[in-house]
Amino acid sequence: MSSEPDGPEEFDRPRADPDAGPCGYTEYETKERTTEEVPATGEGAEGLEREVWAALYEVEDPEMPVSVVDLGLIYGLELDDGNATIDMTLTYSGCPARELILDDVAEAAESVDGVDDAEVRLVWAPDWSLDLVTEQGKEALREFGISVER
Amino acid sequence: MAATDADLGAPDELSEREREAVEAQLFRLADDEYVQAERYTFWQVRAPTLESDLAVANNAQDELGHARLWYDAIQQLGYSEESLLWESEPDDFQHSTLVELPFSEGDWGDAILRGYLYDVAEEIRLAALAESSYEAIRNRTSRIQGEEDYHVEHAENWLRRMADDEEASRRVQAALDRLYSDALTLFEPVGEVEEDIVELGIRDATLDEMRAEWTERTTAFLTDLGFEVPENAEPASPTGRDNEHTEHWHDLHEEMTSAYRNLGRHEATTLMDDE
Repeated sequence: MSSEPDGPEEFDRPRADPDAGPCGYTEYETKERTTEEVPATGEGAEGLEREVWAALYEVEDPEMPVSVVDLGLIYGLELDDGNATIDMTLTYSGCPARELILDDVAEAAESVDGVDDAEVRLVWAPDWSLDLVTEQGKEALREFGISVER
Repeated sequence: MAATDADLGAPDELSEREREAVEAQLFRLADDEYVQAERYTFWQVRAPTLESDLAVANNAQDELGHARLWYDAIQQLGYSEESLLWESEPDDFQHSTLVELPFSEGDWGDAILRGYLYDVAEEIRLAALAESSYEAIRNRTSRIQGEEDYHVEHAENWLRRMADDEEASRRVQAALDRLYSDALTLFEPVGEVEEDIVELGIRDATLDEMRAEWTERTTAFLTDLGFEVPENAEPASPTGRDNEHTEHWHDLHEEMTSAYRNLGRHEATTLMDDE
């Protein structure tokens, strides 16, 4: 699990109401949502941002020699006065290497001169799927021996 | 009851009422998946074929991954992993009793039937959460739906094969008779907060509606295979949702937290701690 702030003592789990009964039907509507284009690959980036993308390209998935950028896992990069904020997802929710990958990505960003601190935010939407893998990534997957549609 | 189309906003923007409803939804999601996974692991080395060992191990990993996603969402509200799991008490949990029961010894039919009853309910619940007014639920749901797809398929395929075999059919029927009331607890309420969950748009179907859909779907499938679905069954008691559990959960909880206790831990250390 991620290291969210430790909860103080008052965070006791909520308890069931002993007199509970199922509730009736209610109508409601949800609002329309739009999602930004993903993944982000750093195409057209310049200066410091370009350097950060170059560093991120060096981070590979622990199971396959493919960059996390080419896998389409990076959803966004923001730079603000030496602070990098990276939104990324994972190919699988049960990924046992989660902390490892997130740490690798943060360290890669922080290795760039001009970046003091990097925060990696794990996001789950939009959904990741194979079509988010870049052409270069698909080529690398094929070389690795995974069949990917052309 | 007023309809709402508002997004509830970030974890720290929730009103007390909203927060209570969000938590009520999240805890059962996390606890159901977590305990289901804990039980699946029993079969990991005992399934009848290597292929099934792998399939069940994979299901367990999926459910653990989903539990982690849900507990993450709960941690965004201020809880810690320690208090949620390792330093918890058995009656802190709100999972349905269906997922906490040990498997009948050597009974693969029990494992498959249970998985089927649970996974159909899970599919229906996730569908009702897909447009949730709470972002952390909405976002996780579509990811989880994609990974749950083949759980029901796996269970259905096994049930079809077992229905063709007399001894296997007998076991599945016995498991159905034994587990049905516990399966119904999946749709039991935790309290008055149930109304708010639907009214605030956190989930778009009531427990009654979800149970009706589940009953219709599971009854049609199982009846078609020649099984007899218990009629007029009542949910088991305790329900699990009411923080009351069978003795089996107390044993499993003890086991689940024993390493943390035996090691004298006070925090869930992470793999890559800086210090």
